[in-house]
Amino acid sequence: MKIAFPDDFSDRLSPMLVKELRQGLRTRAFIGVFLTLQIILGIILLGAGTTATSDHAGNTISTIIFVFFSIAVIIIQPMRGMGALSSEIKGNTIDMMVLTRLSAWRIVTGKWSAIVSQSALMMVTIIPYLILRYFFGGMNLVGEIVLILLIFITSATLTAITVGLSASTSVILRSIIPIIGVIFGTYSLFALLIFSRFGGGGGSFLDYFSMETQESRIGIGLFVTSCLYYGFFLLSIGTTLIAPLADNYSTLRRLVALFVTTVATALCVMYVDDIEVLMVIFSLIFTPIFTISLTEFNMLVPPVVNRFRRYGFLGRIFGAFFLPGWASGLFFCYLLLVIASISFNFVTIPSYNQELITVTIAMVGSLIFPGLLVYFFKMQGPARVSNYILLSAAIGIVSLTLVAISESLSNGGFLWLFIWLPPVSMIMIENHRIDEDAVLISTALINIVYLVAFLVLAIRQYRDSMQNLNESKSPD
Amino acid sequence: MSDAAITVHNLYRFFGPLQAVNGISFEIPHGSVCGFVGANGAGKTTTMRILASLDYPTMGHAEICGINVTHHPADVRRLIGWMPDHFGNYDNMTVLEYLDFYARALGYKGAERRQRIDEVMEFTDLVPLADRFSNKLSKGMTQRLCLGRSLLHDPQVLIMDEPAAGLDPKARVELKHLIRVLAKEGKTIFISSHILSELGEMCDTLLFLNNGRIVHHGDSESLKRTSDSLGGVLYDVQIDGDPQALSDWAILQQNVELLETRKQGGRIRIDTEDPSKAADVLARMVRDNLRVIDFHREQRNLEDAFIDMLSNIESGNKGVQTPPPLPPKPAEDPQALI
Repeated sequence: MKIAFPDDFSDRLSPMLVKELRQGLRTRAFIGVFLTLQIILGIILLGAGTTATSDHAGNTISTIIFVFFSIAVIIIQPMRGMGALSSEIKGNTIDMMVLTRLSAWRIVTGKWSAIVSQSALMMVTIIPYLILRYFFGGMNLVGEIVLILLIFITSATLTAITVGLSASTSVILRSIIPIIGVIFGTYSLFALLIFSRFGGGGGSFLDYFSMETQESRIGIGLFVTSCLYYGFFLLSIGTTLIAPLADNYSTLRRLVALFVTTVATALCVMYVDDIEVLMVIFSLIFTPIFTISLTEFNMLVPPVVNRFRRYGFLGRIFGAFFLPGWASGLFFCYLLLVIASISFNFVTIPSYNQELITVTIAMVGSLIFPGLLVYFFKMQGPARVSNYILLSAAIGIVSLTLVAISESLSNGGFLWLFIWLPPVSMIMIENHRIDEDAVLISTALINIVYLVAFLVLAIRQYRDSMQNLNESKSPD
Repeated sequence: MSDAAITVHNLYRFFGPLQAVNGISFEIPHGSVCGFVGANGAGKTTTMRILASLDYPTMGHAEICGINVTHHPADVRRLIGWMPDHFGNYDNMTVLEYLDFYARALGYKGAERRQRIDEVMEFTDLVPLADRFSNKLSKGMTQRLCLGRSLLHDPQVLIMDEPAAGLDPKARVELKHLIRVLAKEGKTIFISSHILSELGEMCDTLLFLNNGRIVHHGDSESLKRTSDSLGGVLYDVQIDGDPQALSDWAILQQNVELLETRKQGGRIRIDTEDPSKAADVLARMVRDNLRVIDFHREQRNLEDAFIDMLSNIESGNKGVQTPPPLPPKPAEDPQALI
């Protein structure tokens, strides 16, 4: 019997992308979303075409096209990534794949790019509707094209989040993703709808995306950069969770974070003179790298360590910050904090400001504290990163609950009982009935204890894992 | 560096307090088929995963064709084919697409890829199933598909973890046939299974593992012939006439015990392995006018042999490979370091 070989995809494409596209294009989810989107857009356009009398018909059609396209690519498509890696882990197929020439990174990005390619296919198919909508007049061409691209980039980033976290063993975390996704997606859609309907008849909203002002160009540029950064880190988390120990992704990830932090510090020194802006920028940069660095598996293996040892003393120093494992991860995070602190020195603070200093310290503590808890609860393997995220979320929820209680009681005194939770200091400093100096001193002391304790533990662990590596030889 | 296809030397793997693999050493020569036997949790899968470069030993080393699995995992992966004990198949993907994906992942392109898939599908008889969805296959077909996948890059060593588990008799026969053909082609096959009788038929050597330690390494015949836990040997005796005569005779004999009376005689135990003593017993039977028509040493099946061996171990660790002493300050369990 002659075998009819498939020649649907070129050899140049990633094997993972080919596999995922072959599977993905046959799924009911994709076919259903694709056909529904086409039918709805077709009906709406035909209906609008026959009944349009208003000058705003073009804007209305644009809004409807964007809303339905957004539902498809911002809510439904990313959700398809939720089981991407967990299904491979459950099916024990990850092992079979890593034994080929596919690296863990190619497996994860293949999964991600397949879903993104399908979203791109949907984006391409709405272009004819936008061309038809052009004839209704009043179209902001650049604005609408930029908006559609931003929706697509948002979709790709959300897909990276779901695909990356789909390697997590935590069912709770994987269940929370769709809930957050639906809330975020619905919020974005409402915002889009309200802005386009009431923000000056759609004009002002789309004007922002036509990038005519410096402010909009910077805003869109920062949004795209954040998407790229978060997309990379989330995919990187997924990669680390499935990669064999001999594959080192930590070094590249930390180099990226170091580069971004250094560039951001330089730009902030030159252009930013507002400590609150600095806090937002560095929180965005540090959140993903701290999350993954403080939860990495701490087992060092010869193929990874030998690459550093080749460079002698310098290699050992570099290894202390860039070798995989949470211990070196903590050293690296402290290095980032030191670099970022340079930009804070250049900011003009009008007067001694307890509130800003307290918030800054508490923010650092909020990133470190869940890592310390993960260590003390002896959480193992892939559960570590999931638990770090869940613990951070839990601490955030507890803090918000405490805010609500303190506001309803009009008395924040009981918050002292919870000051060991870093975010609580941020609430207390807002409460004018509490002594700001006392809050600042307590926050500083508690968070310094966390930082020092974690550092001591990390030094011990790093030394032990290096010693363990040296002793991992035959005892004959 | 060793000439063997698989070399394991003082291998340890700890998971917290659990010593999954406890200082095992063995060699498997090129072109041989070695069965890996042990109860659940004995350390088989852990050892196989270390050999497949999917896990790391706590101590010791393992080599595939002389290449250290810990130091050069990428080189080892080119030499091995891996069949895990359980795995899922992909939705919405045909058998042909499944093999095509793995062939692409292994770096095959164009005509070479098609040729490799063609050869593997012919060998595993998957051609009629080419357009079937891979998740709609029977267990036997799935195992053939997995075997085909593991053979795509023509590996020198095949590591198969419980490939016969859950297969019906027909599929088992087919799998056994394929393994025999691969062995004839000179591939080294390291296979674990619970079905000991089948392993005995297709393996050159058997490696028994218990609680992370090797308790036997040799061919199946030597295992079947070994004595029972007290050093005795069982014989099947058939006589012409009343079987009670054998029972009456045995009561009067030293060193002979009747274990079971059968329709035409019985099953006796002679308390020594020495064949000359067995000859003496037979001579005495004839001398005492027992009309012996059959007298042969009972071949134990592998399951019995394995159970006996475990009893031996429980009664005094007989035959267990003793792990070398750990270093003065044992390396901490890496898992505990995280």
